Amino acid sequence: MTNTKKTIVSWLCLSPLVIVILFPFAVMISTAIKPRAEILTFPPVWLPKNLRLQNFVDMWHAVGFGQALMNSALVSGAATVLCLLVAIPAAYATAWTRFRGKRLFRQFLLVTQMLSPVVLVLGIFRLMVGLGLVDKLWALVLAYAAFNLAFAIWMLQAYFGTIPKELEEAARLDGASTVQRLQMILLPLAAPALGVTAIFVFLYCWNEFVLALTLLRSTPNFTLTLQIFSLVGGRYSVEWDHVMAATFLASAPVAIVFACLQRHLVRGLALGGVK
Amino acid sequence: MHDASAVQSGVTSSERLGRRAAPYILILPSIILAFWIIGFPIWDVANMSLHAVNRFGQLKGFAGFDNFSHLVTEPLFVGCLFRTLIWTVSVVGGTVVLSMPIALILNENFGGRRIARIIIMLPWAVSLTMSGIVWRWALDGQSGMVNATLFNLGIIHRPIAWLATAGTAFPVEIAIGILVSIPFTVTVYLGGLASFPVEIFEAAKIDGASPWQEWRYLTFPLLRPFINIALVLNTIYVFNSFPLIWVMTQGDPANSTDIFVTWLYKLAFRYGKLDVAAALSLVMFLILLSFTIAYSTLAMRDEEESAKSTGAPGSAGAGAQTGAIST
Repeated sequence: MTNTKKTIVSWLCLSPLVIVILFPFAVMISTAIKPRAEILTFPPVWLPKNLRLQNFVDMWHAVGFGQALMNSALVSGAATVLCLLVAIPAAYATAWTRFRGKRLFRQFLLVTQMLSPVVLVLGIFRLMVGLGLVDKLWALVLAYAAFNLAFAIWMLQAYFGTIPKELEEAARLDGASTVQRLQMILLPLAAPALGVTAIFVFLYCWNEFVLALTLLRSTPNFTLTLQIFSLVGGRYSVEWDHVMAATFLASAPVAIVFACLQRHLVRGLALGGVK
Repeated sequence: MHDASAVQSGVTSSERLGRRAAPYILILPSIILAFWIIGFPIWDVANMSLHAVNRFGQLKGFAGFDNFSHLVTEPLFVGCLFRTLIWTVSVVGGTVVLSMPIALILNENFGGRRIARIIIMLPWAVSLTMSGIVWRWALDGQSGMVNATLFNLGIIHRPIAWLATAGTAFPVEIAIGILVSIPFTVTVYLGGLASFPVEIFEAAKIDGASPWQEWRYLTFPLLRPFINIALVLNTIYVFNSFPLIWVMTQGDPANSTDIFVTWLYKLAFRYGKLDVAAALSLVMFLILLSFTIAYSTLAMRDEEESAKSTGAPGSAGAGAQTGAIST
């Protein structure tokens, strides 16, 4: 009895926030399935008189959704791999070896961690001009990997720290080299940590906006976020049915994956933090 | 990296050297990548800020602090500074306060708690750009669902062009900024709440503490370190937040929603005032640096405390960047 009461009270208290959070999703879906004529009316209604799922198909071609999706997947995947490849040895060194300047290194990481690309966007743009990488997806791969490096190292070294050191010492006594120890003991044990870190880095790359906006010039190279923004930004007439169909297709899969993995992700972050 | 067989043969000098060099070799790639992609732009921006620069980015001779005095005399400077303060203080303050009751509720056992947690965390998974786009449409003056809903409820009698009106655009953006910052902050609080020992709360109940007293004298003081972390990290993210404002209004109408980040972007890529932009960049970098120092002092203090007791967040959330509004 008290439990039912508690449930009702809890949901009542949360309801304003729940409504405001779900509101944009409802707007997305509602607009995405309406024919254009029903969109530009006042007052608009939630449910369409004529359901129009054809919007998604039309949008896919009109927007070049497939290409942008491909670009986002490529950039995010490559940046995540590069970031982890660089972060793993560094995390290993900070967690399991002693060296002079370790404190300095960690502080250096903290500073790069706090920097948002937008503050340095002018300098990054000039760097990429110098490297001839403007309008190249590689520019984003490098920049995303660099800006996630501190986060990845931090997370991984926290996990590595939880693995008993005796295991590593035993392996060393058995004659395993540093690389072998990393490969055969640390990485298998840290697989869940690698997964959580990879997901967060990937999510960052997938959602990133400022660098893509600055470094990409031509539509065939646009990432998904930028492509959808370009349908809205600086235009007089916006085809909202297409835009909402596109935002829905771009956000829903990520949101679903995030919701399914949420407990692991949050626990992973906490572990990375608690150390 | 040293040879495995050397381990058994005792300590040779080359092995000792190898062992000493190994950590540096392991961190070298990360240092190279960070200095190249992050370090160089910092140096470049700092260098530009001290030189006269034409609109094509060529340096034209040393200018001392001229760029900085140009920056503060720009007509938009004071307004942007003021709005950056309002934006940061209200979004961070609103988030940190509103997240508290939400985290306390989500920490209780009630039916459907898992679903409630998933819903509350949803804005975290959606990119700020997408959120901005959807809200821009929802707030549309003609056909937006916000107007329709308020109209049907009888709260407004004619449609309001929320984002096209100077008086409403900025407050609306602040509200949305709070909304998207809540998931991360609630997560930090929940992490704290989960780490508290249950016994002291039971003891308080037995002693007849009211829920308010329990919160005031137990929960709140225990949560203090987590609140501090949430404050500092949110401040950094919100101060840097670009996509929401850029997508919804691009700083308009009439620059009434411009904050430092959006103005910086315009100075650099729209107005072509590269030297002033570089000066602003450097100023923002220094502000961030001071936040970072504040954060690392806090984190280190908690780390020391957590060595004694349990549950302090340590260097928490250095990690949690992804959650953030800065994406």
